[in-house]
Amino acid sequence: MPRLDRLPQISRNNLLTFPAQVNDTAPFVRPGKPLVASRLAIVTTAGLHVRGDRPFSPGDQTYRVIPSDTPTTDIVQSHTSIGFDRVAIMRDINISFPIDRLRELVARGELGGLAPYCCSFMGAQRDAARIESETGPEVGRRLAAEGVDVALITPT
Amino acid sequence: MLARALELAGISTTSISLVREHTEKVKPPRALYVPFPFGHALGRPDDPELQHRVLRAALDLLLEPAGPVLHDFPEDAEPGAQPPAPPQASGITPAEQVPDDAAMETTQMRRYHERWLEKSGGRTLLGLTGIPATRFRGVVRFLEGFADGQDVDMAERPPEVPLPNFVRYCADDLKALYFEGHLAMKPAAGGEEIARWFWSETAAGRLLRRVRDRLDTSDDPRWKAAAFGIAR
Repeated sequence: MPRLDRLPQISRNNLLTFPAQVNDTAPFVRPGKPLVASRLAIVTTAGLHVRGDRPFSPGDQTYRVIPSDTPTTDIVQSHTSIGFDRVAIMRDINISFPIDRLRELVARGELGGLAPYCCSFMGAQRDAARIESETGPEVGRRLAAEGVDVALITPT
Repeated sequence: MLARALELAGISTTSISLVREHTEKVKPPRALYVPFPFGHALGRPDDPELQHRVLRAALDLLLEPAGPVLHDFPEDAEPGAQPPAPPQASGITPAEQVPDDAAMETTQMRRYHERWLEKSGGRTLLGLTGIPATRFRGVVRFLEGFADGQDVDMAERPPEVPLPNFVRYCADDLKALYFEGHLAMKPAAGGEEIARWFWSETAAGRLLRRVRDRLDTSDDPRWKAAAFGIAR
């Protein structure tokens, strides 16, 4: 789940007609160091942002910066599609943005550290040309300049 | 696709995938398919152990020598877990007795929401309009006027936010107030139960159906999109 055959018809059709990009290969950077020495950023497509920051609109291909020390009480979500159950993220932001779990990994010495900030995009993009050509590479450059080794990409 | 852009910048990525069919096509460098419903990428809320197992499985993909790799998270969602998607308004029949006064109901719901804030330590998804819950009677009046076909607006709408988008933010904030308020009333309630309650028994649910109907009569795709986002 969500296995397609278990979804309501309207959601299934929405997904089956979704214009997913088709690729044969992927760029692949092997990590240069172990996780205990790596700096990690979450890059989420859950449409999260700091309270008071500009909300996303549907199809918005810009991104928002969420400082990694932002209290979870200050993070809201403007990806409000009714195709998913938002009660889970109301209860626990870590369901899409596992910032507390990553802080625990850092405290336990299993992860080197967190990037100074995480980045967030809007989900359910039917046309993501600008993310591919502009905003995605921009986030890549910014995170690389911050010494980020690993990005964890999470949906909602 | 985002993963591909980041790898091209020299960053190793690992992704959590909820739709295997899409991930098979896009082929991100490393992806972990998880068998959880939408909105549950890390498994279950308030279950740090499960979340850590998912996280570990995603981070372990960084040890793979070559890609693209797509692994399946080995644990299935447990029986009786949440359904894969919440029920939609069109599939829920309104109750025969629904309160008339949405503004008064919202004021009552605000008390439960205050309890939610105490319990959650201040965490709330309410906040897209920037209008505090204490002024939600005004939001309700605005939505009522809008649903009635009046030419209404709110001073709080930023000039760069189109009216249909602002209407949707108002609807989303109203839903957050009610859903989180309901969680304070019945902490064990799941998303399906709360959605059924909201769309069948509340004046706010009835109001949002009418807001949706007005948005949907427009030929403007932005209005149609807002309608689809509020109720379907």
